[in-house]
Amino acid sequence: MSTFDFLLQGLAAAMLPMNLFYALVGVTLGTMVGVLPGIGPATTVALLLPVTYQLDATGSLIMFAGIYYGGMYGGSTTSILLNTPGESASIVTALEGNKMARAGRGGPALATAAIGSFVAGLIATLALAFIAPYIVKIALVFGPREYFALMVLAFITVSSAFGDSTLRGLTSLFIGLALSLVGIDQLTGQSRLSFGVPDLLDGIEVTTMAVAMFAIGETLFIAAQGATAPDKIEAVKGSVWMTGQDWARSWKAWLRGTLIGFPIGAMPAGGAEIGTFLSYATEKRLSKHPEEFGHGAIEGVAGPEAANNASAAGTLVPLLTLGLPTSATAAIMLAGFQQYGLQPGPLLFATNPQLVWGLIASLLIANLMLLVLNLPLVGLWVRLLTIPKPWLYAGILLFATLGTIGANPSVFELGMLLLFGLVAYGMRVFGYPIAPVIVGLILGPLAEQQLRRALSIAQGDIMTLFQSPIAAVLLILAALALIVPLILRSRGRGDVLTQMAASED
Amino acid sequence: MKHIMLASILAGALAMPAYAADYSIMAPAAPGGGWDQTARSLQTVLQQEKISKRVQVMNVPGAGGTIGIAQFASQQKGNPNAIMVGGYVMVGAILTNKSPVTLKDVTPIARLTGEYESIVVPASSDIKTVADLVAKLKANPGAVSWGGGSAGGTDHITVGLIAKAAGVDPTKINYIAFSGGGESLAAILGGQVTAGIASYGELESQIKAGTLRLLAVSSEQRLEGIDAPTLKESGLDVVIQNWRMVAAAPGITAEQKAAIVADFDKLDKSKGWQDTLKTKGWQDTYLTGPAFEEQLAKDIAATETILKDIGLVK
Amino acid sequence: MSVDTPKTNSVQRRPDWAALVIAAILLIVAGVILFDVSRLRDVGGYSQVGPATVPSWIAYGLIGLAIWTIAAAFRGDFPVREKQEVKPVVWIVAGLAAQMLLIRPLGFSIATGVLFVLTAAGFGARRIWISIPIAIVICLGIWWVFDQVLSLSLPAGPLENLLQ
Repeated sequence: MSTFDFLLQGLAAAMLPMNLFYALVGVTLGTMVGVLPGIGPATTVALLLPVTYQLDATGSLIMFAGIYYGGMYGGSTTSILLNTPGESASIVTALEGNKMARAGRGGPALATAAIGSFVAGLIATLALAFIAPYIVKIALVFGPREYFALMVLAFITVSSAFGDSTLRGLTSLFIGLALSLVGIDQLTGQSRLSFGVPDLLDGIEVTTMAVAMFAIGETLFIAAQGATAPDKIEAVKGSVWMTGQDWARSWKAWLRGTLIGFPIGAMPAGGAEIGTFLSYATEKRLSKHPEEFGHGAIEGVAGPEAANNASAAGTLVPLLTLGLPTSATAAIMLAGFQQYGLQPGPLLFATNPQLVWGLIASLLIANLMLLVLNLPLVGLWVRLLTIPKPWLYAGILLFATLGTIGANPSVFELGMLLLFGLVAYGMRVFGYPIAPVIVGLILGPLAEQQLRRALSIAQGDIMTLFQSPIAAVLLILAALALIVPLILRSRGRGDVLTQMAASED
Repeated sequence: MKHIMLASILAGALAMPAYAADYSIMAPAAPGGGWDQTARSLQTVLQQEKISKRVQVMNVPGAGGTIGIAQFASQQKGNPNAIMVGGYVMVGAILTNKSPVTLKDVTPIARLTGEYESIVVPASSDIKTVADLVAKLKANPGAVSWGGGSAGGTDHITVGLIAKAAGVDPTKINYIAFSGGGESLAAILGGQVTAGIASYGELESQIKAGTLRLLAVSSEQRLEGIDAPTLKESGLDVVIQNWRMVAAAPGITAEQKAAIVADFDKLDKSKGWQDTLKTKGWQDTYLTGPAFEEQLAKDIAATETILKDIGLVK
Repeated sequence: MSVDTPKTNSVQRRPDWAALVIAAILLIVAGVILFDVSRLRDVGGYSQVGPATVPSWIAYGLIGLAIWTIAAAFRGDFPVREKQEVKPVVWIVAGLAAQMLLIRPLGFSIATGVLFVLTAAGFGARRIWISIPIAIVICLGIWWVFDQVLSLSLPAGPLENLLQ
């Protein structure tokens, strides 16, 4: 049988009414847990995996795929509506998505996120099915020095895309970098900035930080506006659906997001967040409406959401072709697959085609089910914003802390929420952007570790960083991204660029 | 929407029959990892085999289990229903993190499963045997980069033991710590490091596919179905097992301890547990009583020595 | 949001004291980093970038930013702050603190219920005799769904034990 036949066979099995029902249950359960800020897809899948064990192999694979996609999508809804990203990969979504929701455009924001996730999931799953073995060969070429070069590129492109003051943007970034130092140094096992507190040894959890910085900081900031702020947000202004212009501005962003997210997800040390950061920076650079960024640009939701979903499918490339679990989610999936009798590895596609194609078909169905479930609900979700402020924000804090408590019921973690919530409040008051803190927290340790690994492997020869062609190209791109805007601006031709990088107050 | 919710609640309820509480198991790690999986498998099997009516799992993640053990020792004192999952990684973490609470402060019950370490090189490498690797290591320890898990973990300790057994200064090893099993395996496959070290289960599919060459395993005797010598046969006196255990609370009576041991004896013999071991690919290295305690003390002492030799513990 | 706050163009003679405080905080953080990493040992590495190197770079970066912030404070480059009301912030902080302290002894529902009530009060819903029972019932419901059905472990207290 050809691969295509296997896929059709898998799809036929997945379309049985009972299996569609399992997909629906999985998507619903996944969304319910994934919607909690602080609980990302990894924890969602880990918690709900036992539910799938009750079913037969096909049914459990389908329900599992549903839980996975549901858990991932759940985070975007709260990011957009409540500015409380549930996990690190949907932080970027909150930047533009919440601005849109506040301007009465929550409907189109949710829709472009849902459709973008679907489009990206569809393309990426098909790419997984047909070109995974080639992608993985490229991904393996990436070693520590190539990753270091990629991180440098990410730092430079991303930091120019946040905020309107270079001083305050950089300060936020360095606060994030400083916080990222907390915990055990992975390469030598020594603790840094932990001051003998065992709870700090594992570092500051990105999700805790995201919840504190966004959900709690935001609530405090809104509360402090007191009576001067409008009592209710207008939930719907114009159409609740995407207009023609929304479509026109979204579709390219979806495709670009997919193109960025999939390969980065496929890299063993890539990570979903980095794809969303790069996609956001790309959209901001390419947009015809750069002035809208920071005030609710639909491309800024469409691109990163697509990148997020595409990179989730990308994670499956090394997992299925090499048996490499490259993220927490993938590690849990590996455990799940073993339960279903799948032993991921280089021989999987050859020895177990039925199950592999069954899984890919399940992913396609779950992806579709997510769209079917969520599009009609958009109108309902948007109504959330019409809840009177006291109850809305009390509810936000309830769910924000529920996620944190559920992932790790410790008093210390709640104390961190409060402390960093206050820090974030202070930062908002003084006009410091929040997102660069999280960027620094995520990228800082990755860049440091890869640099030190690369140098260690080369026994301290610093030239090793430039000797690999891929690393050299990435570093040149990074240098260009840094220098070109400066040159253009100094020649007075950089009106648009100045606006984008907007570095001077 | 309403019946969707109902269906989901039903599906969830299937997974959790409502009995009165019996054992409460703490996994000193986040959901998803090895200790969490062990705890959740114990939950399922203890209930299935009717050894315990209702089992709860609680996660207390952080710092290689040292946060969990500290909380367990202080909050569950004298509670005969409290169980904690732990493992060899905890032994090292307690030392490197200078944890005030150690395994001496809980009541070890039994070793459940274990995995052996395996030493691999990419298939394209010119290193064919452990002897080749040792020769390179002796010539220039810095030129042999080892890819493995986090610093001070089982992989790192094994490399330290290998260097020491080969007569190479353990502080001179060029160990590259990666954050997860997947990341270090990618670096080994991509030829970024000279040699790789991980538990056999993580590397099995690559070894079978011929992309990695297995040089040796860290068990006492050759393992069934695995075509590779032990480190001992290869002239390096290194035996190490990354085991997982269960412990009970401190301050329980001898009878209470005996009852828990009896429950786990029953568990180990049950079909449900044996099936779980098989599907998860876990080796049954069940050990209890004085033999286990002796082994534990030996492991702790040996680990402390080697961590000092590597320079991770003063 | 704060990013949109209007910027001042007025020539300020007085330095912006809040900005100076921020600069001081940045300097303190940098100092703590430099102090903490000075005790690290460079073990087992062949890389000249050791465990203390990158933290030092970050600390120097923070010092540079602190100096920049001081300059901005004297030039009056900081945005004008909107008037902040302290009272609601105190209510909410009290709610979060209460939840943190009560969650162990009294369980999820009571602790989170208190947070809910105090947050609502911070936003102006002050009829506590109505909101307390509502909050606790909502929290118990949520506890039941997530703990009992969806196997998230949430701390149990006296109320939860009634339901088990």
